[in-house]
This record gives sequence, structure tokens and C-alpha cells, in this order.
Amino acid sequence: MNKKNTKPQIKLRGQLFLFKSVLVGLLFLISSISYTQGIAISGTVTNVTTGEPLVGVNVILKDSSRGVTTDLDGNYSIDQVTPGTVLSFSFLGFERKEITVSSETTLNVVLSPIANELDELVIVGYGTKKKRNLTGSIASVGSEEIEQTNQQDAVSVLQGRAAGVQVTSNSGAPGGAMTIRVRGNSSLNSGNDPLYVVDGVPIESNSLSSLNGSENFGLNPLADINPGDIESIEVLKDAASTAIYGSRAANGVVLITTKRGKEGKAQINLNVFTGVSEISRKLSVLNASQYREVILDSYRNMANPVEPIFSVLDSLSPINNGDVDWQDELLRIAPQYKIDLSVRGGSENVKYSWSSSFLDQDGVIINNNYKRVTSRLNVDFNATDKLKFGQSISYTNAINNRINAGGSGNLSLVRELLIRPPTYSMYLPDGSLNGYQFGKRNPVGLAELATHLNKSNRIIGNEYAEYQFTDYLKIRSNVNLDFVSMKEDEFIPSILDYRPGYNTGSVRSLTNLTWGNETYLTFDKQLTDHHLAALAGFSFQNWKNEQTGLDGMFFPSDNLTTLNGAGTISGQEANFITEHSMLSYFGRVSYDYKGKYLAEVNLRADGSSRFGADNRFGYFPSASVGWRFSDENFLQDNAVINDAKLRFSAGQTGNEAIGNYTSQGEFAVGVNYLDYSGAAPTVMPNAGLTWETTTQYDAGLDISLWNNRISLTADYYVKLTEDLLYNVPIPRTTGFSFITQNIGSIENKGIEFTLTTRNFIGDFKWDTNFNISSNSNKVTDLPDELLINGYIQNGQYHILKEGLPIGTFYGYKFNGVYSRDEDNVNAVTNGAQGAVFQGGDPIWEDVNGDNIIDVNDRQIIGDATPDFFGGITNNFSYKNISLSIFFQFSYGNDIYSEINHQRNSVVRYNNLSTDALDRWREQGDVTDFPRPLRDDPLESDSRIQSRWVEDGSYIKLKNINLNYSFPEALVGRLGLSKLDAYITGSNLITWTKYTGFDPDVNSYSGLRAGVDEGSYPQSRTVILGLNFGF
Amino acid sequence: MQKIEKIILGLIVLLSVSCSDILDKDPQSSFSAQGFYKTTSDAQAGVYGIYESLQSNYRINFAYWGEGRADAIETNHSGDPLTLRQNTLNKTMNSAQWSSLYETISRANYAIKYVPEVSVDEFGLQLVGQARALRALSYFYAVRVWGDVPLILEPYESVDQELFVPKTDKELVLDQIVEDLQYAAENCRDSYGGERDRVLITQGGANALLTQVYMWRKDYQNANATADLVLNNSLYSLVSMADWSKIFTTGFSNESIFEVGYNEVQTNALRVLYALGSDSDYYPSERFKNSFEDNDLRKSKIYDTTVVTTRKIWKFFGEGFSDESADPSSNNIVLARLADIILLKAEALNKLGQTDEALELLNRIRTRAGLENLDQASAIANYGDVDSAIFHERSIELSFEGHRWFDLVRTNRAIEIMQPINGLSDPANLVWPIHEDAINRNPNLEQNSFYR
Repeated sequence: MNKKNTKPQIKLRGQLFLFKSVLVGLLFLISSISYTQGIAISGTVTNVTTGEPLVGVNVILKDSSRGVTTDLDGNYSIDQVTPGTVLSFSFLGFERKEITVSSETTLNVVLSPIANELDELVIVGYGTKKKRNLTGSIASVGSEEIEQTNQQDAVSVLQGRAAGVQVTSNSGAPGGAMTIRVRGNSSLNSGNDPLYVVDGVPIESNSLSSLNGSENFGLNPLADINPGDIESIEVLKDAASTAIYGSRAANGVVLITTKRGKEGKAQINLNVFTGVSEISRKLSVLNASQYREVILDSYRNMANPVEPIFSVLDSLSPINNGDVDWQDELLRIAPQYKIDLSVRGGSENVKYSWSSSFLDQDGVIINNNYKRVTSRLNVDFNATDKLKFGQSISYTNAINNRINAGGSGNLSLVRELLIRPPTYSMYLPDGSLNGYQFGKRNPVGLAELATHLNKSNRIIGNEYAEYQFTDYLKIRSNVNLDFVSMKEDEFIPSILDYRPGYNTGSVRSLTNLTWGNETYLTFDKQLTDHHLAALAGFSFQNWKNEQTGLDGMFFPSDNLTTLNGAGTISGQEANFITEHSMLSYFGRVSYDYKGKYLAEVNLRADGSSRFGADNRFGYFPSASVGWRFSDENFLQDNAVINDAKLRFSAGQTGNEAIGNYTSQGEFAVGVNYLDYSGAAPTVMPNAGLTWETTTQYDAGLDISLWNNRISLTADYYVKLTEDLLYNVPIPRTTGFSFITQNIGSIENKGIEFTLTTRNFIGDFKWDTNFNISSNSNKVTDLPDELLINGYIQNGQYHILKEGLPIGTFYGYKFNGVYSRDEDNVNAVTNGAQGAVFQGGDPIWEDVNGDNIIDVNDRQIIGDATPDFFGGITNNFSYKNISLSIFFQFSYGNDIYSEINHQRNSVVRYNNLSTDALDRWREQGDVTDFPRPLRDDPLESDSRIQSRWVEDGSYIKLKNINLNYSFPEALVGRLGLSKLDAYITGSNLITWTKYTGFDPDVNSYSGLRAGVDEGSYPQSRTVILGLNFGF
Repeated sequence: MQKIEKIILGLIVLLSVSCSDILDKDPQSSFSAQGFYKTTSDAQAGVYGIYESLQSNYRINFAYWGEGRADAIETNHSGDPLTLRQNTLNKTMNSAQWSSLYETISRANYAIKYVPEVSVDEFGLQLVGQARALRALSYFYAVRVWGDVPLILEPYESVDQELFVPKTDKELVLDQIVEDLQYAAENCRDSYGGERDRVLITQGGANALLTQVYMWRKDYQNANATADLVLNNSLYSLVSMADWSKIFTTGFSNESIFEVGYNEVQTNALRVLYALGSDSDYYPSERFKNSFEDNDLRKSKIYDTTVVTTRKIWKFFGEGFSDESADPSSNNIVLARLADIILLKAEALNKLGQTDEALELLNRIRTRAGLENLDQASAIANYGDVDSAIFHERSIELSFEGHRWFDLVRTNRAIEIMQPINGLSDPANLVWPIHEDAINRNPNLEQNSFYR
């Protein structure tokens, strides 16, 4: 109890008041009894935690609604009370209390504050900590929020809900991959994903799918975790929180904690829902006759026009007389349903939590389906007073009937459903499917007849034993494992090929085992004003991936697809074992004085087999301090501020995300010449290779105002990553294309705000959670010898340049279209010897003014990094009804819409968007759609250009959840303890200028951010569910 | 202290000190770069690995480099075919990439360095011989395509090595090529038995390559000498006209000296290059079709003579071939065969003044093709001189095999013949540009003068 001298301030309810004289009040009350009928009740209402009187507490006689409030001393008095009636005591921020009146005339009541979120325990690395005492920066998402979303994977739940955590979608397919960035990109070599730890098990979070029909076809390994099982997700952001995870922590750490049993009667819960999804928007494409006209135009516009030989123009050709909008053929309204069953409970010595779920989800593209069964058992036993042990174990079986979507390849359906010519007939005159024409497979045939099946089984488990030496010292040791067994089958039947009998099949089978041991001592002792806690331990972790696979072709029948039927085994490279291990020591000491001055230091030493023997061990320290200035004298009288704390932290973390054997170089086998077994050097060694080091500084403020009605967390951070692991391009004359080296540095700076307000409390409740983050990223150092014209080309669309962010797009600036030949006044040419641009050709910005458009005229044309992003959730509830509305937003990011390029490219006989109807046709046309031109001699089409850079800002009504709890009386009659009905809508409305399917898109999960290659689109989903408690 | 607590502490101590070597993880499904060469079978595998890279070197480039800029072909295909044909070579064209050749060189350098550590007897020597021959073959293409190129003779194993190697004068590179091939001619086996003699480098193969190199350097004396060794090698004989197509369609013929092996899964682009029917890269030029002498038995085996506008080159697939699919091809690609060496020897002898002997060799090829023997007079009457008669004979016999452009260049005829076709006029234009990517990766590399 700290606040002893608070002066009364009547205007503010709930303020604390000095208890002046209980005795005086009591005397007064006793003297008044004799004047009333029935009995008069009086007493004092106090706060259970502080013992102080509470002013303005409502004291109401329940049956008559008659009531009084407590006075400045916390006293109340109410007369004419019949014994047996119920008195209700209610006060803002405190639990309501009801007391049946007996013959006692003095009723002193203590009210308990509603659990303060500051006293909640937050999961930290190797332990828990009161939120109040945190000195690091951690974002938490609780089970309630997770349930409201009805998302089917743990990661997408974080989108827009955790400040500083940017989530983008790589694929909207069920089980599809997501990209998560905690405080920006801090690495160049795509090792930018956070470390995921589920109940103490560091899990495999990279896509294990190896049958990549096209690139960007990853799966989301976190989809193996049923969100219904999750109690909380903590994202550790600053070095103070993450350094305990050392060399894997530079990109943040995501701790997922699942629900455990609590003492008490078994809680049986059944949750069922069913829903439908559809694509959130369709895009406009040309019909067959419009398409033919464009193709004809493209021939007419040639310098030396040639006769089109392409039979796509022949509307009578049986293979090309269609008029198809492929979106209609390939997209659908897709149903899904899910059943969740859980039983949780326990006795004093055994606590259990069992759950199982089944999900069956169709994708919005035909023939795409995802089925998942999960089961989990978490048990904790007290064997003796001192010895405790238990386990968390989960099993997941997933069958994903996939659709090849997302990449740029000929097999990628999302691209194909926009660019496949509308003229392509679906069926041949004999009624058979028109499987293959002009180098392109029939997309409907691909969806329906090609197999792309992924089946996986996964066990994530943790067995622990904990021994309590004394009340302040204990040891805990656990063995953890993450075991994935996956089989993938691919088959493309011969009907989808022009060559008779030419079918191809592949099979991949892998096991991926991560296991380890962690053993640590925990010390925690409170000595009156001093609180000291410490942790010391070590861990061992091993990762092993074993894979077998074969590719075959010429199967005698399309109905026999196992590899024994293959006429020719065409590939067996996918057979390998790789292994990696890590040995670590870690420790932590934290101290606080009266909870007012807080300090903590962490140290981890990690040794990794990935690095050269001389560089094996790295040391990752951090230190943090906190100052709860609300406990200082000068703020003790302050009625506005309940709690306020300043935090500072600094520390180092690492990133070891490189190949297991990169430092040793590699000599690959299976490099065969005819039937002669060969081997060849494929990776150049670099014995000096080491981890990337990220140094992070964080300053934070946590503040709660007005009786916790408003709480705000703000953080400012600076993150500097050095010794970046980078595949440095080297002259090909070495025989290698790159070598992995430690080079350069990157800086991320940003601010994050999380604001929670309780706008209304009482029967009608309205809470608002708002978070917003801004991260500015820039490359601060690159070695000069890597720079060509001052930058490094990073994939097709991006460059890396000192002072610029990682997602910088670089190309030609499109300034419209020459209306007439003579508008090209300076006779600008395409390259030094190339043709002169004429009417209908794009006007490229001639940066150096030499009237020649060449590589020197490229410039920065966009940036994929948002200026800010975040989300806002409003939760309303009234009696049995609750409503949650969640908006998510991103502002200021650009998208390079490769898919829009593809669907406006006449060079490849693609179908075009209806924008092409405005194309330049003749001299004098004023338009910004250039003339179609076969063979692209002016490179109008093939350039990376600003024409395809679009503003990717958006606000999305990401989620609405309406829940109705049936009245207890009715529920009781049904023999239930609880019955809720709910409806959830996801991705309902998106406000954006982006013209593709969805601005929440990121085709490349690595560095090449913000490119839309034609990813599987996000779908709009509506779900209806019932939640039974037995 | 309680017993259980003692056990716990004991276990901790044990666990925390017992694991120190667990961080040594060597690759299990491949080898570390320096850890591969341990046994003789590793040495053999390392050398087969060099051959493997030839498959990608020549799968399409043997034609782009050897035919694409010459007069026998015509094309409608944009990209490299059109660029080469129109002599508008640029820094971003695919055939200006040398990365694949240097991959061969790197693999060879590894073998040349490490095979002797495993075997220093005959087994090791013949492997080093093959490795050096393959390195020479790669450099020979490199100097013919780009002129001066970086000369690298050591494997790259550390970032401390010089990565940014500038160009070396092409004559010095050619000296190294000759040295390597001479070593190969001495140390390779004369035969490996069976089909291997055609798809691996034998002594005969090394001598055939030496002959090509000497002719490129106009060293007729040496060319004549090494050609002799080939002609006298019992592995090689001219096949009959009936089997002539099989040199290419089935491969492994007695006439073959060295061919790059391909199969169903290790494929090349021959069909895309020559016989896609409607839309292959190349079809025969009018000039080529009109250059045949009457009654040349090879004509209908080389291209589709049944139609006026020929779109198919049949040489590699057999007369009448009509499969139009773009299926990758599994035919071997012949880089050196006896007819080539016979004609080179004829050319050398003629240059050395031994015209009669030259004509005798020329007529061996002509006879097989059903043509009349030429004597000096008829050669002059028909072709102007004997040299031109031999040159013409090469253009027919070796058509589309990737020799024509190099023949034009080494006999100084390229500008004379190609100028009317595509305006080629500058001798500095005879080489390819160095690909932009190579220049970008290496600041010490200077672009070839014509393309600066």
C-alpha cells in the first residue's frame, strides 16, 4: 500500500480516499438503527488489496432497486431492510458482491478488484514474468482474440494484432505460407523468420514441401497447430526478451503456449462451425473477339508486318473457338467445417487438457482441399511435494490436395486463370478435354487431373520434470521433439501434354526431426523490498532432415501413378540427409527493488555446427532496466496515472540461418554423365563464415490511466545487423556463381504503439484495442566490390543500395504513351542503335537526357515497405451478446504487380485486362495503354517499369465476430453449462487502390518483398458456429 | 543433501560436459569441397563430373556458337538465333554467357589438383589427361567465341584467392590448350572399350582436338602430324553412306572421335534447334541449299528436300523425320569425327604444298557422297582453287555440326561471306561480347573492343 495521502477528488469516480475514522462512522450507524422499520444495515466498503475505503460504491437492495452509495469515508447506511433480502455491492473495476442480509446490522464488505492485466503472467524465454515487471518489449495475443478470428493457423492471428509484427500472405490457399517480420527485415539471405517455440519446443517453421511445381509454393508449418488449443502467443521483440535465445533470435521469437488443465471439474467443450469462402473480387478480362483484335493489332503494328500463323485467331478452329473467362471455370464458393472437442480439468495433483479437432476446408480454386486432424494432450502431475512432471504432446495429420498456384511457371493456375486466352476451347470436337495447346496446358485440366498431394504427420512433444529444492530454487529439465513425416505425390497425365504417352510423376518422402534437451535452474526469492531471480542452464538441439524422392516419366497409363510404373526414372537427386546441431549455455539475473527499480541481464552462448571450427561459439548478451515512476513520491498523489513504467534495453542476438554445410563447401554426388557416376564441386567453401549479429536498443513506456481505462505501450527501437550472411555473386570464371560471406549491415528503426481503452464498462461494454507500428529499414553498408553502379541487383525487381530500404523497386519510369510519332521530338531511341520510339510506344523517362533509353535510365520506382501498419479491434458486449470488429491496415507500401504485367502483355499471347480496350490504335490517340506489338522490339513489355508499381495501401475489415450466449436457464434445461452461437466474417471488405486480387500479397517470402506474381488470392469467408459446454 | 538431489546434480554435470564434439557435422549425402577426393573411385567420379558439365555447355550452344553467325542457316526466331543471324550481338544474349564453360574448367581444375593425391600411377595419369583435355576443349571454345579470356588453372577453395581475374591474351590461352592436349594425347588411354571410346576423351580424341587447335592457329605442320595419328588410329574409320545418318541419329559410330553423350533424361535441344517442323530455331538457307553439287547423296539426308520452303533439317534425326514435338532430344552431339580430321588434314597438306595428297583425302569424302573425284584442274574449274574445294566440302559434309562459323573465321572468309548477308565488316566484331553479367561480377574484366 503506497498511496496514503490522496486528497478527495469528487469528480473522479473510483479515486482512492483516506480512511479517516471508522469509529466515527460506526457510532453514527449504530445510533440510527432504532429509528427504522425492519432493520437498518450499515457498514464500510473497502478495497481488499489496499484496505482503503471505497467511495461511491452502489449498494442496492436487489428486489426493490432501492439503493445508496458509500460516502467519502466508504460508509453506507440503508434502512428498512428485511432479513433474507439480497444486498448488491458494485463498483467500477471491482467484482460485484451480493450478500443475503441476516439479522446482523453491520455489514462491512471488501471488494476485490477485477484482475488487473498488469498482474497477468506473461510467458518469457524459459519462464514467466508478471507483465508489471517486464523490462523488455513483448506483444501478446490471448486465446479470446484467437477464437474470435476463427483463422485456421496460428500465424495469421497475429496479423494486425501485435505491434511491430508485420504479417503478409504468400498464399491464400488453405495451409498456405505467410511471411512474418518482427521489426523489419534484418537479414539479406532470406533468414528473416522469427524463431517459433511451442510449449518450450523450438519447432521447424520453414516450409518442408519440396515438390515445388513452381516457386513460391510453400506450406505454412504453423498450420499444424490448432488455434483452438492456443492459450496465448507472445512475440518477443527487443534484445532483452530475445537474447536468451541467442543465435536464432535476431528476427524475434514467437512463443506459443497451449491450454493446460486447471484444478476443478472437467470442462467439456464442443465447438462446431461451418462456413463458406469465395474470392473477394474478380478481375476483368477480354472476351474472345476483343482478344483476337488485340492479337491482330500486335501483328499490324510490326515494322515489317507478317501474317499471323497463330491459329488462336481462327474462330472456327475446333481448338480455339472458345470464349472462356477462366475465373468462372476455376473459382468457386468453397465450403468448410470444423469440429473442436476438448476436455480440461484436474485434481490437486493431476491436471489434464485433452483436445481434438477436425477441419475440412475447400479452397476457392476447384479441386483444392485441406483436411486436418489434430489432437493434443497436456498433463501435469505432482509426484511428490517437490517433484512435478508432465508433458505436452500434439499430433497433427494433414492432407492437402493442392493446386499449383503462386509461381510464374506454366503450371501456376492463379496466373493462368487471368492470362490464358479466352479463345481456348475447353473440349475438342470428340468431347475430350482440350488438354494442351500452344505450349500451354488447360488450367481446368491441371486443376482436375493433375495430382499434387501433400500428406503430413507431425508430433510436437515436450516431456518435463521439475524438482523444487526449496521454495526459491528449482530445476527443470525437458526433452522436446518436433517430428514431421511428409509424403508428396505429383502426377501430370499425358492428356495435359502434346506428346502422346508423355506423363510425369514425382514422389517425395521426408522425415524432419528436431529434438533437444533443455535443463535449467531457476532461483526466485523475495527479501522484503528486494526481489532477486536468476536462471542458469544449458541446452542441446539437433535437426535432421532425411529425404527420398524419385521423378519418373512415361507411365504406361495415366491411372497408374506410382513410381514403379514409370518407364524412365528421370531424377533421383532428392535423396539426402542433412544434419545440424547446436549446443548452448544460458543465464539470466533479474532484480527489482519494491517493484520500482527493475534490472535484468541475459547471456547466451551458442555453438553451431554450421560455422567453421574457429567460429563455433557466439556470445549474446543483453541488459535492461525499468523504472516504475508511478511509484515515486511525486506521482503518488496523481489520480490519473495508475501505473507507469519506463524501460530501456540493449543487447545482441544472432542469425545462423544458412545452409548446414555452407562453410565447408560442397562436392555433390549424382552429377552423372550417362550411366557413369560423377561428382562435382557445387558450393565454394568459406571456413571463416559466422553468424549475423544484431544489436538492438529499445526504449519503452507502459502507462495505465484512469483506473486502467486507458493503457498505452509505446516503444522506440534501433536495430543494427552486421556481418550479414549474403550470397555474394562472384565471377563465374571461378566455377561458382556466389559465395556465402559475412558482409555489410542493415538498420531497422521504428516506433510501436498499442493503445487499449475501455470506453464503456458495466452492462454495455466497449473496449478498443489499437496498435500501429512504423519501421524504417535501410541498408547501411555494402562492400564496394559488390556494387555495380552503386547497387546490388536483388532478383528481378529490387535493388540493394546503401541508404535505401530492402524492398526498393528499380526500373524504368513510364510517363505515358506517345500520341503521335512526332511527339517524340528528340527522336529518343531504344538503346544506342535501336529503333526510334513512335506513336503508341511508351514514353520512358530519359534520366540522363541522352535521348537513348538504356539501363542507365533506370531509377527507383517504388518501395515495398509500408510507412505504417496495424490494426484496430472494437469489442462490444451487452448481456449475452458480444460483437468484435477488427480492421487491419497497411499504408504507404508499393506493390510490383507482376500479375498485371502478365495480364497486359501481348508478347506471350496472354489474355489481357479490359484496360487493353483503351489501347493506342492510331496516330493521335491519347491513352496510357501502349500499342500492342509482336516480338517487343522496343522492350515495352520486358522492362521492369513503374507502370506495374501500384499503391498497396489498404484498410481491411479483416474480421467480424458476433457471439450470442443462450441464457443459463435455457442452457440448463438442455443439460448444458454453456451454449454460444456465433457468426464470423473474414476479409469482408478491403478498401484499396490496388487493382489485383488483394493488396495483402507477397509472392516471395524472402527479401524480394511486395511482388504479386499471381498468388493464390485471399478469400472472403463467413462462418456459422455453435459452442457447447457440458 | 537428499539422494535425489545428488542424482540430479550428477546428471547435470554429466550432461553439460559430455557434449563437445556434437558440433562436428560433416555432410552425409555429399562431401565437403576439400573432403571429396579420397579413393580411386572418387577420382573417377570427379572426372565423370567434368563430362557432365559438357552436356549443358553444348546442348544448344554448339549450334549458336558454331552455326548461328554463319551462312548455312536461316531463322525466324527472336532471341539469340535472330540476333546472331543479323549480327546484332548484344551483352545480354544467352550465347554470350561463359559460365557453363568455366564450370567445366573449375571441375577439371579440382580433378587436376586432387586426382594425383589419390593416384599417381597410370590410372591417375589418364584421369588427369582427360581432365586436362576437357579443360582445353572449354578454353578452345572460349578463345574462339570471345578471344582473350581469363585463364584459370587452379580450383577455387578460399575467398583469399584472386577472384577477379582479368583477361589473358588468347595466344597464351592457346599455348595452354596445346600443352593440356599434348599431355592428354600422351596420358589418356588409347581405348576405354566399347562405347566409352566415343563419349570419353581417348588419345585419338586428344589428337583430333589438337588438330582442330593447330588449324585454328594455322600451324599446318603440327596439324598434319596430329591428324596423321588420328587417321592411323584403328578406332576410327569412315562409315558407309548407308550408315552416314547414324553417326548422328544413333551415335557411337566408328567415325566418331568425340561426342558429348546424352540420353532420355540428360537431354539437349537438337530438336528445338533443327527439326521442330513448324517452328525450329534454324532451317537451311537458300544459299546452302543451292551450294550442293548434283547427285550429292547427302542432300536428302541433310534436309527436307520434298518441299520448296524447307523448315526441317533432317541430318540429326534421319531422312523423313516428321515428329514436330518440342521433346528434348537424346542424340549425342558429335564434336569431332574422322571426316572432319580428314578434311582438316587435306587443308593442311594443301597449305603445305602437298596438293595431290590433299586431293586424295578430299576425294575419300567425295566418293562416299557419290560425287566424282576432283583433280587439281576440276577443283580450280569448279571452286577456284583446291583450298576452296576443301572448304566447300567441309560446308556440306560437316553442315550444321557447329563447324561453319569457326571455319569462316579461321580461314579469314567470315567478312567476305557474311558482309552481303548481314553487314559484318569489322574484324573486332568476329568475337562475341562478354556477357553483361560477367562484366558486372568482375571489375577487372574489359568488354571486347567492338562492344564497348
